[in-house]
Amino acid sequence: MARLPPEIRPVLDNGTPAVMVTCSADGTPNTTVISQVYYVDETHAALSFQFFSKTIRNVRENPHAFVCVFDIAGQAHWALQLAFERSETEGPIFDAMEMQIEAIASMTGMSGIFKLRAADIYRVLSVEKVPHAD
Amino acid sequence: MSSHDSSQQATELARKTAEVRILQRVSRDINSTLELDEICDVALRTMDELFEFHHAIILLLEPDNTTLKVVASRGYENQATGGRVQVGTGVIGMVARKRQMMHVNNLGHQRAYVAAQRREMEKAGRQLGDTLPVPGLPNAESQIAIPLLIRDDLIGVFSIESPVPRSFGEHERDLVSIIANQIASAIHNGRLYEQRRLAAAALHEANQSLEARVAERTAALERELRVAQALLNEARSRVEGPLLGESAAVHGLRAAIARQSRSKVPLLLTGPTGAGKEAVARAVHDASGRTGAFIFVRCAEVSTQYRRGGESPRDAEQSFIGSRFELAAGGTLFLEAVHELPPDLQRTVHKTIDHDRSHSSPGESNAPDVRLIASTTLDGRQPPPGGFPPLFNLLTANRLSVPSLSDRREDIPALVDHFVRRHARRLGKVIDDVSPDAMRRLEAYTWPGNIRELRTVLERAVLVCRSTVLDIDADQLSEALAVGSYRLVTQLGSGGMGEVWLARHRFLVRPAAVKLIRHDVAPGAAREQFVRRFEREAHVTAGLRSPHTVQLYDFGVTDSGSFYYVMEYLDGLDLHRVVTRFGPQPAERVIMLMRQACRSLAEAHERGLVHRDIKPANVFVTRLGTEYDYVKILDFGVVKEQAGHDGAMLSNPEIVQGTPAFMPPEIVLGEKRIDGRADLYSLACAAYWALTAHTLFEATTPAQMLLQHVQAPPLPPSQRSELVIPKQLEALLMTCLEKDPAKRPASALQLEAQLARVPCGPPWTNERAQQWWADHAPEIVGRT
Repeated sequence: MARLPPEIRPVLDNGTPAVMVTCSADGTPNTTVISQVYYVDETHAALSFQFFSKTIRNVRENPHAFVCVFDIAGQAHWALQLAFERSETEGPIFDAMEMQIEAIASMTGMSGIFKLRAADIYRVLSVEKVPHAD
Repeated sequence: MSSHDSSQQATELARKTAEVRILQRVSRDINSTLELDEICDVALRTMDELFEFHHAIILLLEPDNTTLKVVASRGYENQATGGRVQVGTGVIGMVARKRQMMHVNNLGHQRAYVAAQRREMEKAGRQLGDTLPVPGLPNAESQIAIPLLIRDDLIGVFSIESPVPRSFGEHERDLVSIIANQIASAIHNGRLYEQRRLAAAALHEANQSLEARVAERTAALERELRVAQALLNEARSRVEGPLLGESAAVHGLRAAIARQSRSKVPLLLTGPTGAGKEAVARAVHDASGRTGAFIFVRCAEVSTQYRRGGESPRDAEQSFIGSRFELAAGGTLFLEAVHELPPDLQRTVHKTIDHDRSHSSPGESNAPDVRLIASTTLDGRQPPPGGFPPLFNLLTANRLSVPSLSDRREDIPALVDHFVRRHARRLGKVIDDVSPDAMRRLEAYTWPGNIRELRTVLERAVLVCRSTVLDIDADQLSEALAVGSYRLVTQLGSGGMGEVWLARHRFLVRPAAVKLIRHDVAPGAAREQFVRRFEREAHVTAGLRSPHTVQLYDFGVTDSGSFYYVMEYLDGLDLHRVVTRFGPQPAERVIMLMRQACRSLAEAHERGLVHRDIKPANVFVTRLGTEYDYVKILDFGVVKEQAGHDGAMLSNPEIVQGTPAFMPPEIVLGEKRIDGRADLYSLACAAYWALTAHTLFEATTPAQMLLQHVQAPPLPPSQRSELVIPKQLEALLMTCLEKDPAKRPASALQLEAQLARVPCGPPWTNERAQQWWADHAPEIVGRT
């Protein structure tokens, strides 16, 4: 099990949408963009479960996922391999994530639509910083 | 440690020291004011110093708890102040809802992401809500918003924004939290102060209002006190006036009063009429120290009532003598003109006091402890013809003679001074002196009417006096005051409009009633109103020719500027007095009186005039030659043109005029279209009174009475009287008492015709009426 380094935290806090890749049970990949990757602790991250029905179905069939988080200021991205552990629909992690999503949604007429359905907690399997080529 | 590290540490220390100083200063500055603007200004300036931030806003929760309003902002091109955010909308709204700090970065990306999602959904045909504008930077990339909390209560949100993506570290978030707490605390203190200031202001206002009310009440009490003082002075003057002077006669009288005050033996006061016997009796009572009341009984009136009742002596004792003795328990019973008392009652009085005297020990007698004082204008040494000798024998055993004015002529100047000052004060006039000629005439005059006549003459003279020195010529003394072709004889009464005097024509010697406008009405609007009303009554009354309407002989202005009018003098009693003195009247008599009143009103209504103040006191029952129970309608003072007739409104439409107990609902409600049916309602009220001796409604205040005229259904008169009231009469009266004028008889003539058809007992003939007057008021029958 890998640990998330401290320098990744501001990147996660940046709130920049991330790219997430999952596979179905038969190995068919699916890529989607998620709005938040939330720092839970050194070994866990939470991803927002909104309306990605295929992603969720995949994760439930195959717990492994790949997430690419962009560090725009640092001219790099971080590659995380994760394994799904559980879904939370309440509690401090869910509340913190939901608050931010709802704040944005409410300004854009998406309140009640663009909403957090669950905070999916993933164990970090590996983490790697990949600098962008100049 | 390298020099680079040392330098970094030094820099960090300097930065933290600077932050601490800033926080100290903000703590001091923010707590040094209670003004919201200043609190916000300090907070926003501090943000500049700490973060070089130029975009910060402070929002406060509005009373509806659903919106936040921007109360201060800094760094925005278009000031955000005044803008509103819904709780739950945007970062600020969400912070308010969750009551948790929120730090958002890359807002632009997030918005773009959500917008892309939105576009996708819209493409799929999904209906979405509108984008809501939120005060703040439209292109903000990072934002930190902190709830302003007092304990757990949200009062607002403090937010700072930046157009560039940046992250607030833990240290920076802590700093902002400290500032936010300071802001919340200071705003809370300011609000508490404001609440207390408003409460203090309200208290101050309430105190002022209370002070004003106390002052008003004090003034009212002072006015009441002045009125009470005036009444007391008047009563005292009636009592003390006759005892003023330094003559031997009055000295002897005062000494006798002192002696008599120490005794309980019945006392007989003798002396001519008007000499002051009542004053002497009151003085004896006052000096006696007796704690009970002084009960005055005018025996002539008792005699009239007694003759009417025809009760047995036992009943009479109960109703006339026994009750008076009970009232005077512990005090004094004064029988004025005791010789006027019927012999039966004289016997009862004698029996009572003789019984009391024979059981002089406490507890032996059931009779109340009463000092009896009687007066007579007769000799007093002998019982009057027809009198009950034992009573007079008992009374004459202790006799005190009250001297006539001619026997104490040297007291006249003191008495004149007293009466002139008193009456001038009552009328608001300044009279400093009496001319020497006038005083000589007064001292020389014979004064057959004694002190009472002296007082009347002086009152008349003061009434018309236009100087500070009172003058009285011989003519005034011998023939009394002149008004037009009439000379005033005695005052019959006074009321709201003025004084009424018995007068006689100079040449025709015809008796007349003269009405004079009051002199104690101060110049101004009130006086003007009185004068207008006086003239109106005169004009209106002069135009009416019905024999049942009081006839006007003359009207004009006296030399002293008083308005007056001269009416026929009516000998009799008004319906109010008839019922008050003799109780409910039989239906046939009431019908007869009402029919006459209808004839008077019919003429007035035909001319477009409404009386508006028909009441028992204005239905005068008089004798006209050989006709008895002849009705005259009085007092057209509040008469008003009927709606639809030409002519000015004679009454002020803004003022409800009339007498509450007899006022029709349409007048109570101030309706503009008043016609003769209003008078029919009032006449029915008067008839109700005559039949039952009760007013239509009972109330403790005029307002309650008026309200009942508008709202309450009246009880049929048969339920309030033991006398027989024909059903047809009752039904007719109840029709007249309908709240809706349209349901009443259409006219006075129609009512008169309906009354004529009411079947009742033996008709009220002139003979019955004559007999009634002979039985009840023989003094009126006997006059010519």
